Amino acid sequence: MKNIHYTFALLLLTFCAIAQKPTPKSEQDYYEIKTLPIPKEIYLEVGGLATMPDGRIAVSTRRGEIWIIENPYQLTNHQVHYKRFASGMHEVLGLAYRDGAFYCSQRGELTKVTDTDRDGVADLYEPIYQFDISGNYHEYTYGPVFDKNGDMLVTLNLAWVGFGEGKFAKWRGWLVKIHPDGTLEPFAAGLRSPAGYSINQDGDIFYGENQGDWVGSGRVTHLAKGDFAGNPGGLKWAKEPNSPFRLTLEEIQDNGAPMYEAATKVKNLKLPAVWFPHAIMGISTSDVLQDTTRGKFSPFPGQYFVADQGQSKIMRMGLEKVNGVYQGFCINYREGFQSGILRERFGLDGSLFVGMTSRGWGSTGKDEFGLQRLLWNGQMPFEIQDIQAKSDGFEISFTQSVDVASVKKAASYALRSYIYKYQHQYGSPIIELMNLKISGVEVSADKRKVRLVIEGLRQYFIHEFKLEGIRNEAGEPLLHETAYYTLNQIPSGSKLAVQASHRLVETVAVKAVVVKPKKKSTVISDAEAMALLKKHTCLACHAKEAKVVGPSYSDIAKRNYTDKQILALVYKPNPQNWPEYATEMAPMSHVPAGDVLKIASWINGLRNKALLNHD
Amino acid sequence: MRNILLLTLLSWTCLAQQQVILKDLTSFQHPSANWTIEGAVQAAYSDTSLQVATGQGVLVNTLRNGKYKRSDDLTFAFSHGDIHLMFDFMLPKKGNSGVYLQGRYEVQLADSWTKKQLNYGDCGGIYERWEDARGKGKEGFEGYAPMQNASKAPGLWQSMEIDFQAPRFDANGKKIQNAIFKKIVLNGILIHENIEMLGVTRGAVSTQEVAAAPILIQGDHTQVAFKNIRYETYDKPSIRMGQVRYDYYTGKFTEPIIGTAKPVESGKLDKLTYKVIKAKNDYLIHYQAELDVPESDAYEFQSYWTGSGVVKVDGIELNQGAHWYSEMVSAKANLKAGKHRLEVIQVKDFPWGPQALGLYVKRIGSHPVALHERTSLLDPEAVGVIEVKANAEPVFQRSFAMHHGKKKTHVIHVGDPSGMHYSYDLKQGAMLQVWRGPFLNATQMWEDRGEPQTAEPLGVTIVLDGKFPLVLDHQAQADSTELVYKGFRLKDGRPIFMYQWPAANVTIEDNIRPNTAGSGFERTLSFKSASTMQSATELILGNSYHGISTISTKLIGLQGQSYFVQWDGRQGAVLSPKQGLKQQRIPMQGNEVSYQLIW
Repeated sequence: MKNIHYTFALLLLTFCAIAQKPTPKSEQDYYEIKTLPIPKEIYLEVGGLATMPDGRIAVSTRRGEIWIIENPYQLTNHQVHYKRFASGMHEVLGLAYRDGAFYCSQRGELTKVTDTDRDGVADLYEPIYQFDISGNYHEYTYGPVFDKNGDMLVTLNLAWVGFGEGKFAKWRGWLVKIHPDGTLEPFAAGLRSPAGYSINQDGDIFYGENQGDWVGSGRVTHLAKGDFAGNPGGLKWAKEPNSPFRLTLEEIQDNGAPMYEAATKVKNLKLPAVWFPHAIMGISTSDVLQDTTRGKFSPFPGQYFVADQGQSKIMRMGLEKVNGVYQGFCINYREGFQSGILRERFGLDGSLFVGMTSRGWGSTGKDEFGLQRLLWNGQMPFEIQDIQAKSDGFEISFTQSVDVASVKKAASYALRSYIYKYQHQYGSPIIELMNLKISGVEVSADKRKVRLVIEGLRQYFIHEFKLEGIRNEAGEPLLHETAYYTLNQIPSGSKLAVQASHRLVETVAVKAVVVKPKKKSTVISDAEAMALLKKHTCLACHAKEAKVVGPSYSDIAKRNYTDKQILALVYKPNPQNWPEYATEMAPMSHVPAGDVLKIASWINGLRNKALLNHD
Repeated sequence: MRNILLLTLLSWTCLAQQQVILKDLTSFQHPSANWTIEGAVQAAYSDTSLQVATGQGVLVNTLRNGKYKRSDDLTFAFSHGDIHLMFDFMLPKKGNSGVYLQGRYEVQLADSWTKKQLNYGDCGGIYERWEDARGKGKEGFEGYAPMQNASKAPGLWQSMEIDFQAPRFDANGKKIQNAIFKKIVLNGILIHENIEMLGVTRGAVSTQEVAAAPILIQGDHTQVAFKNIRYETYDKPSIRMGQVRYDYYTGKFTEPIIGTAKPVESGKLDKLTYKVIKAKNDYLIHYQAELDVPESDAYEFQSYWTGSGVVKVDGIELNQGAHWYSEMVSAKANLKAGKHRLEVIQVKDFPWGPQALGLYVKRIGSHPVALHERTSLLDPEAVGVIEVKANAEPVFQRSFAMHHGKKKTHVIHVGDPSGMHYSYDLKQGAMLQVWRGPFLNATQMWEDRGEPQTAEPLGVTIVLDGKFPLVLDHQAQADSTELVYKGFRLKDGRPIFMYQWPAANVTIEDNIRPNTAGSGFERTLSFKSASTMQSATELILGNSYHGISTISTKLIGLQGQSYFVQWDGRQGAVLSPKQGLKQQRIPMQGNEVSYQLIW
């Protein structure tokens, strides 16, 4: 009997092993988040981060302090130690350390903070430059970032008066260079909310912009001297004698046509290097940082890591230069941080310190503030390594060899392209949406590269790649299957001569046709609703019960909208309906109406449930 | 112009009070010889007596013969029930007096300047109660210390505001509601709110509580002076409203204009309420009622709503416009005794924001009358205060700050464990204000998005002129001086500000710290680079639109004796740079000049 039992158990185990698919890999299997504990009495609403030459990390805060953290790498002990170095400044949203002193931005001043008697506490606060400010709360000042000459880059947020406005105080809406002698050099304009920016290894400046007026969606833009990045709020100062260009609001078209059209008339209007589609790739782009750790931080050396405040996540951006113009792709990297990410800086060990605050802005990560570290555990995930534009399509490279059969299947791909409006209104719906057809696929000999020949490439457009069916040789799907490439320039070069061997296999859908009796109730289940909400990225900003970035579905239900009204509001949101929410909703007109209506009836079902519960 | 007249909106305090005339003592019952009417008083902060100048307007208690007695207490001529009382007072050093509402409930006036631990016997305290029957050593009980020390120095004019609700009695004379100090404000600081008096305080004229009785000022301890005694009592009848008819319309109304619309519902109400409105938005509601005005007078209509609306009396528009429910809109009308027609129309054409409708009528001499149901107007929510403390060591905090109604953007507030703090305009090398008490309220900076980005003092504040204090010889003081801010260094944790002053071609340091006595700040301005100009430099000690009181050599009272300035060195001169303005200047000697601000 015993033996029999044993065998039976073994059989059962074997059966299970066969029946079970490999569990899908998740981000945390590769990219680990470590939390730095914060003493309870410290309000560490992070505004700036700086890595000191000895490896300690300095954090500046909204409350005007600079904290220096010992043992930030948590090597022998998880506990870290905070020492207050400076205090009393006015909202320090940027921090740098250089030659024994801290440099930081207050709202109205670029300040050098020094500990002259070396007792660990600053005792000298010197202005490098005093900024003009009107007193509007939205005139944030970010920086400095030092360039190789020792000049300090500072970005100056627009005021908010129902729209972004720069005219109240000089150089608002600009990136300026402050020379060590305290003189100001206006560098580039058209900035709206330039919370994060950095200089790459080639000395080029990139900044992250939030969706808003004149900004259809989040984006990263390369700024060279004299560039105008699109928001005209600060153009009053282009009349100043030291402005690097002349431009007035009247010269900018405001007809809802895409930005690239406006750029044909305004020569220095700078198109984004990469668009970050709103609500999908974040809602409030913040820091941009190139991986300079040579493989310590990530499997993607030289690529960029772009943070998002509202969605508490870090995305990855790959750039290439075509015809001298930066362009590239973005893709998700790691979500699940504790609060809204404002700052990223590499520690000396190649881990990434992530500084956070949600304050009145709201974020997916529910903590009011936080400090975490992101690191790669060295395991190689199956990811898109890179995407490069070709004259007739794209070449996608992968971190692992692909399963050739999966690459050859048409069903493995869903490709489309679209763009945003350029207009004074806040945000933009997706426009000129077009599905794309792959006319040929070529796999490299090492199976690491896949060349796609695409019909209907459109210059300037965002090209969306959904690679749901691609597998590696172990049969695993991609860790992140969706990427967005901004095709500013189509390179010249040889086209792939498409042969029969390049054609995709069109799988004939063999679906069992089961005629289900139509249910009386059209309201979908919670699980179905959640699946739809996740698919269309609604959950990035909304939850069923909790206030996240936007209102909860239960609260929306209380508004007594009809399903059709909800549909209309999803396609064309009216932010005034929810004035207590800082972040305005983007038009989600790309979501099929059928799906929105299903979601709407589910939302309205919550109202009835709420009533029942209260009875 | 029919029977209604619109008045321009005047501040409430202007009209709300009756003044106690202090040209003679006829406002008081049998005053003892110690009480006199004088023209002015003054004293140094160290003086135990007040210097008196003859004239009118100031009520002074001075010991005339032998010892102070209870009969030296001063009783007002009029009796009061509920009362809103405001007055200014001055005490000499170690001064002690008090104001007994209804002769029974004492708010203490005493020299509590710079005291750290307070009890009921300190300035602004509600004095303890007393019963001999409780046994020896246990007679005293209850009593309420002020929430914080809001005292100014002896010899300065201080202000007090008391909102008192008298006890209520039923027809048989049985007390059914205790007396309540609804609010006591000392020198602009709220020190008590809604303190219910379980009985009379020690030294009351009687332990028997009553509906009406006169104020009594304690006069049996030390010298004390009063001026500007104003009050409002609430004995007059006010408006009554008859039944309300409402008509409810649905549709898109952006303005409170009915036009040709037809109501979808009509009905009667006892009071105004928005609760009959079915929709969250896109409606118009029209209320009509008869008002019964008891006596011809000015009546102030105070309205609250979310959306747009209009209040009309006899067809004339009073309150109007688009507002949020927490904003009061106020308009006054002169109404004749008799019947009047009230109309309120309200619309809301957007779905957000809480619905609300409130309408009060305020007549001077009577409490506001609510014409709405209580549930029709929400109570606005308060948020917890974010306080920056300076208890252990000096701290500083930059922010925006309001000064004389303007937002200054480069301000630093410096807090000191001594409890004395100041705000400073970094662009102008100028002190904006000094205060004593808790340090800084940063709620408007750090709560949520912090849209005002302003920080405010939490203690008794002296607002200063906000100008750079140095001028070259005989030059006028400019509203703003060209200065190059060079930062600050910390010495013992306190900042020393550094400037380049191009007009004088010197580098300056501005060092402000508590004086050794802890009575105020000592400010020292020093030249750090050689200059030929220093002998020609003058320091402006202060500007005053209310005269400069010379109390002794090198001690003056400014802005109507609201603070002192004291200095060593040369005497200097008082200039009058323009009509009504006095300016005290002293010459700079050597490389530095200093003075003290004492309050």
